[in-house]
Amino acid sequence: MEIFALFDCIMSPACLLSQAAGGLKIGMLLFLVASGLTLVFGVLGVINFAHGALYMLGAYFSWQIMSITGHFGLSVILGALGVGIFGLLFERILISRVYNAELLVQILLCYSVVLILDDLVMIIWGDEFLSSVGVPEVFQVPPLFIFDAIIPPFHLAIIAMSFIVGLILWFIMTKTRFGRLVRAAAVNPKMLEALGININLLRAGVFMLGSFLAGLGGALAASVGSVVSGMGNSIIIESFIVTVIGGMGSISGAFLASLIIGMARSFGAVAMPLFTDGLMFLIMVLVLVLRPQGLMGNKK
Amino acid sequence: MLFLNKDNFQRDVFLGLLAWLILIIFYFIFPDPGIHDIIQKVFILGLFAMSLNILIGYLGLIAFGHAAFFASGAYTLGLFLQSDFVLNLASFSIPVAMLLAVLVSSILAALIGVICIRLKDIYFSFLTLAFQMLIYSIILALVNITGGDQGLMGGFPKPPFLGIDLGKPFDFYAFTIFISIITIVLLRQIIESPFGYGLRMIRDNSERPAALGFSNQKHKLIAFIIAGSIAGLAGSLQALLDVGAYPEWAFWSKSAEPLFMILLGGMHSFLGPLMGALIFEILNDFVTANTRYYGLVLGLVILCFVLGLKKGLLDWILIKFNRK
Amino acid sequence: MLKLDKLSKSFGGILATDNVSLELKPNSINAVIGPNGAGKTTLFNLITGKISLDKGQIFIGNKNITNLTESEITHLGVARAFQITNIFPTLSVKDSIKVALLAKQHGLNNMWNRFKTHSINNEAESIAKLSGLTKSYDTISSELSHGDQKLLDIALALALKPKVLLLDEPTAGMGPEERWKMIDRIQKLWKKTKMTVLFIEHDMDIVFDTAQNIYVLQQGSIIAEGTPKEIKNNKKVIEAYLGGGKK
Repeated sequence: MEIFALFDCIMSPACLLSQAAGGLKIGMLLFLVASGLTLVFGVLGVINFAHGALYMLGAYFSWQIMSITGHFGLSVILGALGVGIFGLLFERILISRVYNAELLVQILLCYSVVLILDDLVMIIWGDEFLSSVGVPEVFQVPPLFIFDAIIPPFHLAIIAMSFIVGLILWFIMTKTRFGRLVRAAAVNPKMLEALGININLLRAGVFMLGSFLAGLGGALAASVGSVVSGMGNSIIIESFIVTVIGGMGSISGAFLASLIIGMARSFGAVAMPLFTDGLMFLIMVLVLVLRPQGLMGNKK
Repeated sequence: MLFLNKDNFQRDVFLGLLAWLILIIFYFIFPDPGIHDIIQKVFILGLFAMSLNILIGYLGLIAFGHAAFFASGAYTLGLFLQSDFVLNLASFSIPVAMLLAVLVSSILAALIGVICIRLKDIYFSFLTLAFQMLIYSIILALVNITGGDQGLMGGFPKPPFLGIDLGKPFDFYAFTIFISIITIVLLRQIIESPFGYGLRMIRDNSERPAALGFSNQKHKLIAFIIAGSIAGLAGSLQALLDVGAYPEWAFWSKSAEPLFMILLGGMHSFLGPLMGALIFEILNDFVTANTRYYGLVLGLVILCFVLGLKKGLLDWILIKFNRK
Repeated sequence: MLKLDKLSKSFGGILATDNVSLELKPNSINAVIGPNGAGKTTLFNLITGKISLDKGQIFIGNKNITNLTESEITHLGVARAFQITNIFPTLSVKDSIKVALLAKQHGLNNMWNRFKTHSINNEAESIAKLSGLTKSYDTISSELSHGDQKLLDIALALALKPKVLLLDEPTAGMGPEERWKMIDRIQKLWKKTKMTVLFIEHDMDIVFDTAQNIYVLQQGSIIAEGTPKEIKNNKKVIEAYLGGGKK
């Protein structure tokens, strides 16, 4: 354990700030993806293990659109929308068949789709990883120096974007009719059906939103990292950790947990470089043992 | 014939030995090392899958982190055989190493089990997974001991014991299948004993047992330990086969493999997971020989089973012939 | 045989059981009646230790079983059958009863014998006979008729060889003819085993015909108790039921 390295870092404003910024970036991006996962679980009761594959599709889609149009904003939006539509089809054709099936069946179904998609992207885009879409031109500016910390403005943009999306999501869920219906559906779907609401449409809509969020995360990730088959596999585990820690079904919980995990990763990389991931799992174990419903979850 | 109809331990031992002899003869009829390899793998992974099915099929507990015990068995054996103890124990090294692998895995299962068993349903599943990934991270972090992400490096000796030389292909084949079959026969005894029916009772109804004066938790823990021990045994065999141990065996995707086998072969018949391992290995072999898009094919096959057949192959066959 | 002494239990401010006291004589057959929500099942849950008491004490014979665990209470001679059948779907009647018998006798830790040929087979058969399940002995529980499932639920309780048997609405979900068959079966096994029986029932005809003592529960407290004749003429009871006769 590099305790001294951690101590030094916290004491130095430059290091503290840059690690914090890094942690925020990781956390916010993770929040985008995890919010979709927790939303789907909270409303539909499905653990969408293919959520990471949707993230991967978002990266591939936006990469493709970028190489066609060269326009960053378009590639992100269209990429995410593409994944949303894919999610819609996925939900209608496959997920809807296993709503009442046991956990094992749901997991196996989703995992089979992950396997299929991981190979499918290789067939379509080739085995090699695709180099990142790259930071959009408008952000190709010198990094900011805040208290001697080097902070790329684009990272700040990603943080801001994720935060804004989070706010929009919060707004939708709490202030709009759709949001109220969705939250009601999470609690009592039969009642909604009896009131004449088309539950299937609602479910499809929620899943589409969740997929959109995953795709958005992937599209943004494509701008700062390479795009490769299987890139969803690590984000899905992290999203699960976030969902469990935050409380399954709670978006605010996902937000809090994502921040915690983001910071744990960032500072953990300084304190225990070989055990950074282990730290996350340790936190997950502790939460499950001490407070299984998560930080913001409700005790069932 | 009457003897074979009696469902008891003696008959199982007889059938087990018979199967072993048949497979030995098989070895000489089909000398292709590729086929021998598949059969060995089927037994090792089948053992792993059958151990998981104690929890999934008979107890109704969906454990996602079972490969933790497979890996612990493998690394224990590997580390032991790399150590200086081998110099002292010489011809008892491998039996001792295997016993240690089982022991360490059972202790690990006891520790993890005691904590996980207190949770229900999906929280149980996730906690087992969290523990597995924690162990994975620990394996990676302790680079000096475990070799980190490279796995145990440098191999290890396989000193002959009791006239068996695991360096020779035939010896290894016969030994692996023998150990596997013995374990399977013992497992059957456990499953068909009152203990095994206690498992089914808990699976069917977790509330009623208390009203019958019965404690679920102790029973579940013992089952968890047995499952972990057998997984550790399987892991030790795998380590002997590969003369090494790799962190991938502790990664969550390794826990998915026995789940597939249970799905493919069936969770409600005793030998279902073994049949699932057979299907899995044949599929593996066939697909990788013809295309590199193994995931695509496996994914599609699983999809068919999940949506179509909805049960494993052996389950389906047995239902068709109206037996259980 | 069973003595309840001033039992009280609240759930979040609502008094579900209010100062309930009663005493069942050994080898008696008794009924608890009352409108829905009166707290009858809650009372059973308190007696069997499924939920904890706030106040009061419970005795089986001379033994104080207050606040013991469900398991411990079972071993001290209290068994119950449930309102919603609480059985083992994939096990046959035979296997279910065997498992219950072995559970009581601490025999489920055994890994050396074979369950199918276990010596408990004989005992299981006689319990099945007592419960009227001989015909469906080898049927898988989930495939049993509703009536047989209820009988199985009772059989599982009988496997515990209880001193006190609690039956929670044993005739629920049955038509009139089936109901009388069930209560007939219950009387038969009560006479044979000489247990102390307490059953919850809504059919007044059955209650008056079968029970030696009746306890009337309303809003958590006993408003009347006595023989069928006494209860029939009890003003409070008549009020509570607004004309009597249920379902």
